[in-house]
Amino acid sequence: MKRDSWLYVALGAAAALGAWVLFVGLPRWYPPDSLPAATGTSTAGPLVDTTLFYISDDGMQLVEFERRLEQRVEPAAQARVILEAQLAEPPAPLLSPIPPGTRLLALYLTERGDAFVDLSEEVALGHSGGSLEELFTVYAIVNAMTTNLPAINAVQILINGREVDTLVGHVDLQRPLERNMQWVADPAAETIPEAEPALEAEPAPTPTI
Amino acid sequence: MLLTAGPGGSQTLDEPLTLVSSEGRRLLPTVAFDGRRMVDLRQLTGPFGLTIPENQQPDRLTLLRGEQVIVLTANQGLVSVAGTLVSLPSPPVQRSGFWYVPIDFIGRVLALVHDQNVELRRRSGLVIIGDIRVPQVVARYQRIGPQARLRLMITPAADHVIEQEPGRLVITFEADALDLVVSDIAPDTLVRGLRGVDTRPALAVDLGNAFGAYTSRSEPAIGGGVELVIDLQPAPATATRVVPPPAPRVPTPADAAPDPDLPALSELAPPRTIRAIAIDPGHGGDDTGTRGPDGTLEKDVTLAVARRLRNLIESQLGLRVVLTRTADTTVALDERAAIANNNRADLFISLHTNASVRESATGAEVFYLSLAEYDAEARAASGFAGQLVPVVGGGSRVLEIVPWELAQLRHVDQSARWAATVADELSLRLPMSPRGLQEAPFRVLVGANMPAVLVEMGFISNPDQEAQLTSTTFQTAIANGLLRSIIRYRDAVARGVPPAGPAAFAPPDGPDAALAARGGRIAGLGVTQDFHDGLQGRSP
Repeated sequence: MKRDSWLYVALGAAAALGAWVLFVGLPRWYPPDSLPAATGTSTAGPLVDTTLFYISDDGMQLVEFERRLEQRVEPAAQARVILEAQLAEPPAPLLSPIPPGTRLLALYLTERGDAFVDLSEEVALGHSGGSLEELFTVYAIVNAMTTNLPAINAVQILINGREVDTLVGHVDLQRPLERNMQWVADPAAETIPEAEPALEAEPAPTPTI
Repeated sequence: MLLTAGPGGSQTLDEPLTLVSSEGRRLLPTVAFDGRRMVDLRQLTGPFGLTIPENQQPDRLTLLRGEQVIVLTANQGLVSVAGTLVSLPSPPVQRSGFWYVPIDFIGRVLALVHDQNVELRRRSGLVIIGDIRVPQVVARYQRIGPQARLRLMITPAADHVIEQEPGRLVITFEADALDLVVSDIAPDTLVRGLRGVDTRPALAVDLGNAFGAYTSRSEPAIGGGVELVIDLQPAPATATRVVPPPAPRVPTPADAAPDPDLPALSELAPPRTIRAIAIDPGHGGDDTGTRGPDGTLEKDVTLAVARRLRNLIESQLGLRVVLTRTADTTVALDERAAIANNNRADLFISLHTNASVRESATGAEVFYLSLAEYDAEARAASGFAGQLVPVVGGGSRVLEIVPWELAQLRHVDQSARWAATVADELSLRLPMSPRGLQEAPFRVLVGANMPAVLVEMGFISNPDQEAQLTSTTFQTAIANGLLRSIIRYRDAVARGVPPAGPAAFAPPDGPDAALAARGGRIAGLGVTQDFHDGLQGRSP
């Protein structure tokens, strides 16, 4: 009987070790996005047009901005390139919808086309807290991923490796979010959206004086 | 939206506005262009100190007030005001070289460049310039058997005197002018009508033949106002009566107590289907929300407005009000919706202030939940249904269980309808963002098992708006707008106007449905009734 119980202990320990290797060790040794990164580490590769999203002059919407970024073969590697560019401080006078200091901690892609973007806590701590700007932050990330990478359907944002209800109290982050261009300026319109319909489609006035 | 300002549009004189300032009162003529109430800009230059420079560009008008510049563009609903854009409910109209602007131009544009308080009160047709006392007096008249009761809600409180003159009672207020809100009453034998007095800030009650005596009392109303209640009695005996008349009533302090002979007014009110309102003051406790340049915290503004709104709803509508927090405490988002559900609120309103890294961002926005983000879950659980639970004392009944993520989905149509009303009422009172009405995946709305909206009252990051958001006037204006939207929604429900349920979400048809995602969290306990009939289906 005593020998049996030792056997159980040994089996249990082996199972625990196995589980640790499977769920903790392997991901740590081989972060999902580091696997394909080996194929595209060279910096002198081809470039690809990429759409990023920044805050408009009046602060009331997102605007699209084209950048040429390095092209990687693997979607996960390309996603990382795009996100790093979206998180970085943009050239003036563009203003980033993402609080400064926000770092990309990890990035996971699933076969279903969901992306999990794990960000450092600065994304919440450095935020103005406004719901409109929270929408800008979330949808700059979601739209940058889904617009440039057709393989990605939806994006869920994590903070410090954890699922969160929201960034700063409004936008539901309990699920992957799909592309949503509701807060992005229509480049064709070239002006503030949704004024009361004018009589005719006249050219809009320049808002500055 | 119809294109109503076309060159062929009709143009007629409309009711004039009354301009009240420290220099007195004057009329401000208005013109209706296809039903839109407009004012000739030349009428505004004097009272508001505007100048119109020479050499204007075609289809563009530049106005100056001191250093501040206003630019109008013909047929464009956006006006540039000292560098920021403000939207108007309809574009300015240029006619024979003269410019006409919607009357909202006064409250939305001129108020921004004027160094004194400028207010447009649409209902009473008043334009107020400067710091003068113009209390709002809302009169309600109710016939109760042989007697009648007149209730005057005076906000902010103002002293008053009641005088009986031949054929009428005159209530004169200690004020520079009155913002009188009187709905039409059906003339009867006690009161023939209510009207303002031209020569002074007073309300006249025209008395009928049967009038005998009155008693009055006033009580401070919650929210800084005062309510004046005047009970009117018929003349006691007449010669033809055989029955001994009751002793004439002598007004005593005891009259301050509710008269047992008078039924409570709430019993006389038309049957209501909206019984309770949940107000959610955003953020709180550790979560301060947004912060203004002067240090104003969102959590304080939202609680202040929530309290004002609660007082208004309780005093004017007599509905039950539930606050998701009544002090500076931390409450989780899902907990807020659960409080509304457990208290069986019929409407849920979440209050917030916005912020932007761009200081110029300004204006209020109204949100309801967007459906798209929750489509998959709605489909996955399209057959959720009842579950039999034992009842104390034996037997069982069906307990309907709603997965948390689905609670709001079936109300979204009505939420959208109500949100449009909220945006409409707010736009009469405050500056709106260019996008006043939007849908978004906001977490606090997801679990609310009733029509729900989230209101961003303004940008606290904008110094002007920060000052507004902390002012009594602005907070009261917001609360009044929300109150009006609740009244409009309630009345629409009573008329059966809102859809019975959102078409986007099919009712369950089987008892074996899976409790969907999220480990079967349920949307509170206020869901045991059959809610497929919408609001009317709820039992008390």
